[in-house]
Formats: sequence, C-alpha cells, structure tokens
Amino acid sequence: MATGKEKLEAGLKEWKQKRNKEILQLAQLSAAGILSLLIIWQLAVMLGWVNERMLPAPTQIFETLLYKIGNKPPDGNVLWVNIAASLRVALSGFLAAIIIGVPLGLVMGWWTYADRFIRPIFELVRPVPPIAWIPLVVVWMGIGLKAKALIIFFTAFVPCVINSYTGIKLTSETLINVSQTFGAPNREIFWKVGIPSSLPMVFAGIRVALGNSWSTLVAAEMLASSAGLGYMIQTGRTVARPDIVIVGMVVIGAIGALLSGLLSRVEKYFLRWKVNR
Amino acid sequence: MNIATKRQITIRTVLYYVLPVLAIALIGLGWVVFSAGHPELMPPPALVWERFVKTFTKPIAKTSLFGHAWASLRRVLMALMIAWAFGISFGILIGWNKKCKAFFGSIFEVIRPIPPIAWIPIVIMWFGIGEFPKILLVFIGTFVPLVINTSAGIELVDKINIDAGKVFGGNNRQILADIVIPTALPSIFAGIRTSVSSGWTTVLAAEMLGAQKGLGALVTRGWQGSDMALVLVAVITIAIIGALLSLGLQKLEKVVCPWNNK
Repeated sequence: MATGKEKLEAGLKEWKQKRNKEILQLAQLSAAGILSLLIIWQLAVMLGWVNERMLPAPTQIFETLLYKIGNKPPDGNVLWVNIAASLRVALSGFLAAIIIGVPLGLVMGWWTYADRFIRPIFELVRPVPPIAWIPLVVVWMGIGLKAKALIIFFTAFVPCVINSYTGIKLTSETLINVSQTFGAPNREIFWKVGIPSSLPMVFAGIRVALGNSWSTLVAAEMLASSAGLGYMIQTGRTVARPDIVIVGMVVIGAIGALLSGLLSRVEKYFLRWKVNR
Repeated sequence: MNIATKRQITIRTVLYYVLPVLAIALIGLGWVVFSAGHPELMPPPALVWERFVKTFTKPIAKTSLFGHAWASLRRVLMALMIAWAFGISFGILIGWNKKCKAFFGSIFEVIRPIPPIAWIPIVIMWFGIGEFPKILLVFIGTFVPLVINTSAGIELVDKINIDAGKVFGGNNRQILADIVIPTALPSIFAGIRTSVSSGWTTVLAAEMLGAQKGLGALVTRGWQGSDMALVLVAVITIAIIGALLSLGLQKLEKVVCPWNNK
C-alpha cells in the first residue's frame, strides 16, 4: 500500500513540476513577445528605418511620459489633470447608464406592457452610433461635463438595457413555476428569482458598456473639449508631437485595462454564489 | 366566460397594440413641440425632410446622399474583408497553439485596450486623411473583436471532442478543420457581428475628424455650418444603414450556423 501511495505522490510531484515548467516557459515566451516588439521598434528608430518625427523610440515615449507628469505643455494640463477629467466624465456617464439602463431592461424583460411601450422608443435610439450624438449634444448643451457625460450615457445605456432584458428573459421557467406554486406574488418572484438569475448577463452588459464608455470618451474629447486624454492626443496631433499622442494612447489603454480589471473584481464579488462549472 | 373577463381581455389586447403606437406618437409629438420652441437646437421634421430632398437636388461635394453613404460603406466593407481574413486566422492561431498565444497574444493584449478611436490622431499623422488611413482605422477597430471571439471560441471547444478525434486517428490539421472550427463557428460569427457594428462606428469617427465624402463628413459639415437639419439627415441615414446591417447579419447567421438557434 505504502509503495503505491508513494508512487502516486511521486507521479503527482512530477506532473506538478512539468506543469510549472510549462507555465514558466509560456511566461517567458510572453515576455519575449513584448520585449521583441519593443526592441524591433527601438532598432527601427535608431537605424533610421522610420522617421523619428513620425514614430519616436520607446525610450523617447518613456521620457515624454515622465515629462508630462510634471509639466503642462503642449496641451495646458498636467497628465493627472487630464486623467482626472477623463475619468470624471466617463464614470458619471457610465454610472448613470447603469442606474437607469439596468432597471429599465429588467422591467422591460419582466412586464409585457412596459416592453410594448418602451421598446419602440429604444429601438429608435439604439441604431444611432454614440459618436453621431456628439454634434447634437454639443449644440444642445455645449462642451461641459454634462454634455460629454450624456454622450457616454448613450453609448453605455444600450448594452445595459439589452443585456438586462435578455438576462431576465432567460430566467428558468422551472424556477418561476416553483415560486408560483409556493404562492409568491409576481413582484416577489421578480426580486428574488428574476434579478439574481439575470445578474451574469447584466454584468456582461456592464462590461461592454464600460468598454464603450471609455472608447467614446476619447471621441467626445477629441471633438469638443479643453481637457482630458482625448484632448491631449488631439493637441499632440495638431502640434505634430507624436510622442505626446503615443503617451496618451498608452495611458488610455492602461486605464481602460485597469478599469476592466476592477470590474472583474466587483463581478466576482456579486456572483460569488454562482457555482463554477 | 362572463362579460367582465371578456371585457378585461379586450382591454388587454387593445393596450397591447396601442402602447407601441402611443410611444412613437409621443416621440413625434415631443419632436414637433420642442422644435417649434427651439428651431435652432432641433429643426422640425418638415425641415429635415426638405433638407433630405435637397441633398439630391443640390449635392454636397458633388455627391448625393447615397454617394456619401456608399463612400462610408465602401470603406467599412474593404476594411472588413481584410480584417476577417487576418483576424479570424490570427484568432485561430492563438486559440489553437499555446506557444503562439504566449508570444503573439502578449503583444495583442498590450495593444487591445487602446480604443480604435484613440488611433485616429496618430494614423492621421502618419498617413494623412486619404482613403488608406480610414480603411486602416476601421481595420484596427474590427480586428480586435474578431480575434477575441475567435480565440475564445477555439479555446472553449470541449476537450473530449478533440480527444475523440485523436482516438480515431485524426491528425492535428483534420481535428482543427473538422472539429474545432465548426464548434467555434457561432462565436466566430459573434465576432463578425461585433466587427460590423464597431467598424460602422469607427468609420464615422474617422470621417468626422477629416474627410471630404462620407456620412461622418456630412455630420461635421452640418455641425460646423450650423445646419442642424443636415446633421439630422446624416444621423438618421447612419442609423438606418446600421440597423439594416445588423438585420442582414442576423439573417445570415441563421444560414451559416443554423445549429446555433434554440
């Protein structure tokens, strides 16, 4: 018996070592991928394959990033001010879309009359790409925080509604029937069965909404703004400073990734009851 | 059935059909009332219709409204063709081969979170405002969802099916072509659908920031000339084409992967 167990443990150990080795190898490959991209980029600039005025080297980008942290030119704001301006706009539009869009979708999915009334309005608004709202909203409300937040709201609102609607529509009939058998009124079933079972879909919608908000924000700031990351890269273009543009792109990408990581944490917390298959 | 319940049922059916009409009527009424009070913010429907007719009698940039719509559509379609070819093959590559995923996937993950619209300034700096930079921008916008959906679909294929293929002596290529790709087809198609709507949005943004022709250019032109009726004509056209595109794809999905329907 003992030898059998020892054999098993030895086998397990060997398998674990093999797996660790594989993970390490893949991690090395990942690092190699990014490194080779940076090295080719740097070499291309240093050897003069590409014009430095068009594509500055990674080292130059890094220097500009450090410079922007403490200096205002050329767009008139320190990097932090731009980041804060962008975040404030994006998050206010995004949160408003969740607060209005998710309940609306849930109600539409649960009560037929609400669906019949709201659906036509929603279907009229839905196919308009959020960017096309920018001129209308700017004419209506100027280029302040409210106007930009409204544009973000439009882009984040649609996926929130669609996913909440679909999510609650997919509630298992069996669960609803069981609740009805136990005498629960419709409203209680909505709260205690419908909403929890729609949550995974709702979160998928919120995730799409977050991505949309962040990307539309850049468009809104490029077209009409006086601060923010989109404004920074647009200014970088007009004064022919590709390093500023690329720093802006990198920061936009990094914050976007950060926000989406944060959302994953929140999602995990809310869906902790869900059994992972 | 007594009269009371019968009446209740008729009220319900009437409500069922009246509510959507009521909603649309309210929107229309709201538009008319608001535009009567603030014509400079929101032109009345009649004026928008007039402006719509005028785009044909007095073309902008020597192109009618259909010409502008076609200019935008052509850019999207050309970029989509290229993005479908590259995006789906790249997605299959990094979904299927772990080492490729580690090497190229890491580069992709670094570039992915940058929204396509954020590429516009740098692409304009590099290539100007001609036809190629716009197609490139739409390509960037459509490539990402294609790769994500394709590689996710490939990775989600049930291991048992792959093992069964191996037991029956299939080589790697056969397993990929006969088992993995058909199973991943619905999620590849989801990527195609996302790519179309994201391409349509990106082309607008690209055109709004610098173009002679295209619906996005019309929007900017109307905006800068304080011609709100023209903006609305362009926005409504954009919405109609976008809706038609997604409807067409829904129909196509039923043909291409019929097993995906409940």
